[in-house]
Amino acid sequence: MRRFAPWLLVGVLILGAGALAESSWRRVRPSIPEIGRKELEPTLGQGVLLGVLGGLRTVVADIAWIRSYVFWERRDRPGCEALMRSACALDPHARYFWENTGLRIGLDMAHWEIRRRGGYAKVPAETQERLFRQYGRQGLDVLEEGMVYARSRTSLLLAAGFLAEGKLKDLRLAADYYRQAAESPDAPWYAARICADIDWGAGRKVEAYGWYRNYWETRLRSKQDGFPEDLIRLRIMETELRLGILQRIPRQVWER
Amino acid sequence: MKDSLRRTLWISRVTFLEAVRQRFFAFLLVLSAAMVLSSVSLRVFDFGHGELKFIADFGFGGMFFFGSVLAVVMTAQLFFSEIDNKTALTLLAKPLSRPEFLLGKFFGAWAVLGVFVLVLASLQGVVLWAREQELVAAAEQAGRIPTTFSVVGLCQLVLLQWLRLGVVIAIVLAISSLARTFLFTVVVGSLAVVAGQLQWIAQDAFLRPTDSPVYAAFLWVSTRLIPNLQQFNLADALVLGSSVVEEGALISVGFSGLAYLVAYLTLGSLIFRRREI
Repeated sequence: MRRFAPWLLVGVLILGAGALAESSWRRVRPSIPEIGRKELEPTLGQGVLLGVLGGLRTVVADIAWIRSYVFWERRDRPGCEALMRSACALDPHARYFWENTGLRIGLDMAHWEIRRRGGYAKVPAETQERLFRQYGRQGLDVLEEGMVYARSRTSLLLAAGFLAEGKLKDLRLAADYYRQAAESPDAPWYAARICADIDWGAGRKVEAYGWYRNYWETRLRSKQDGFPEDLIRLRIMETELRLGILQRIPRQVWER
Repeated sequence: MKDSLRRTLWISRVTFLEAVRQRFFAFLLVLSAAMVLSSVSLRVFDFGHGELKFIADFGFGGMFFFGSVLAVVMTAQLFFSEIDNKTALTLLAKPLSRPEFLLGKFFGAWAVLGVFVLVLASLQGVVLWAREQELVAAAEQAGRIPTTFSVVGLCQLVLLQWLRLGVVIAIVLAISSLARTFLFTVVVGSLAVVAGQLQWIAQDAFLRPTDSPVYAAFLWVSTRLIPNLQQFNLADALVLGSSVVEEGALISVGFSGLAYLVAYLTLGSLIFRRREI
C-alpha cells in the first residue's frame, strides 16, 4: 500500500487542481469573449482555432475578414459567409463584423444566387422576391445575433431596420428596429424620423404621431436648435390627422 | 531542508545561465519584441476594433505563442542536454536527489520565462502608453471618450502569463521524465499545450446537463487531468477593461495554476525517480 501512496497523492493533487480550475473557470468565463463550441464548429478550417489557441484573436479575425473580400469578389457565398462568420466568432464584441456580415448576406447574396440561376431575365419575379426575403431574413438573424454580443447595438438596429424595410418589406418590424435605435443613448438624429415615417406608411398614423411627438418633446426639443425639421414633419402629420389647435404641439417661440 | 534548497537553487542558477546563453532564447525574444513593436504599424489592417485592442492582442498573442514555444522546446532541451551529455549522471552521483534536480530545472526554466514575459510586457506597456497618449489627445479634440489601458491590469496579466508558462514547464518536465527522446517530448508537450488551450470547450460542455453518463465521466476526467490554460487569457478584461473580472477570480485562477504546477511537478518527480538514466 505504501508503494502506491505517492501515486495516490499525485492523483488527489491533480483532482484537487481540477476542482479548483473548474471553480475559477466559472468565475472568469464571463470576462472572456463569448465564443463557444456552437460558434467554433461551423468555422473549422478557417483559422479560427488558431485565433482561439494563440490569443491572436483580433489579428486572425482581421485576416479572416480580409480573406472574405476575395470570396466576395468571386461571389462565392459559402466561402464568404464562412469567413465572415469566423471573424464574428473570433471577436464577437466588434460591431463592424456583425453589421457588415448581416448587410452583405442580406443585400448581396440574393443577387449572386439570381445570377447563378441565369440572371434577372430568366429567374421568375416570385422566385427573386423569395430569394430576397430569404437572404434578408438570414442577414437579420446575423444582426440579431450580433446585438447580443456587440457592445454598441445602435448601428446593428439601424441595419436591421434597413433590411426589414427593403428586403422583407415588413414595415412594422422595420419601424420596431428604428424605434429601438432611436431610443438608444447614442441614437443618430435620423432614426426617430425614419421610424415615424415607416410607421406612418404602414398605416399606424396615430401611433406614429404619438410616439414621434413624445420623442421630439422629450429628447429633441431641449437640444441646441430644437430640431426644426422634425417639428415640420410633426406639423405635417398634425395637419393630415386634422388635429385641433389644442391637440397640437404648442407653437414654439422660434417657429415662423 | 536548507541544504536541499541550496542544491535546488544551484541547479536553477546553472539552468538559468545555460538557457539565457542559448541562441534559441535570444532569437525568440527578438522575434517577439519585433512583433510587439510592429503592431503599431500593422494597425492599418485592423477592422472594427479599438486601436489599443489590436495592439494589445497582437503583442499578447506573440507573448503567448513564442512563450509557449520557448516553454516546451527550451525545457525539453535543457532536460535532455543533461541526459544526453551524461552530466545528469555526474550530478546525481553527488548528494543531489532526483526531485531536487527536477525542481532546479523547473525554477531555472521558469526564471528564464519570467525574464521573457517581463521584457515583452514592458515593451508592450511602452507601445500601449505611447499610442494611448496620441489617442487621448485626438479624442479630446473630437470631444469623445478616449480609450485607455490599465497598468495594474498589465502587471496582473504578466503574473498570470508567467504562471501559465510555469504550468506548461511542469507538464513538459513530467513528460520529459517519462520520455526517451527530445522530439517525443516536444511533440507531446506541444499537444498538451494545445489540449490545455482547448480544454475549456470540454469544461463548458461539462457544465451543461447531459443524458450520457459515459460522456459525463469522460468530460469529468478530461477537465481535471488537463489544465485549463484559457483561463489565463484575460488580456482584454485586465488591460483594456473590456469586461469586469469578478472580485477574487484572479486569486482563484492563481491557486488553480499553482495547484496544477505542484501536481505535475510531483508527478514528474515520481516518474523521474524510477527512470533509468
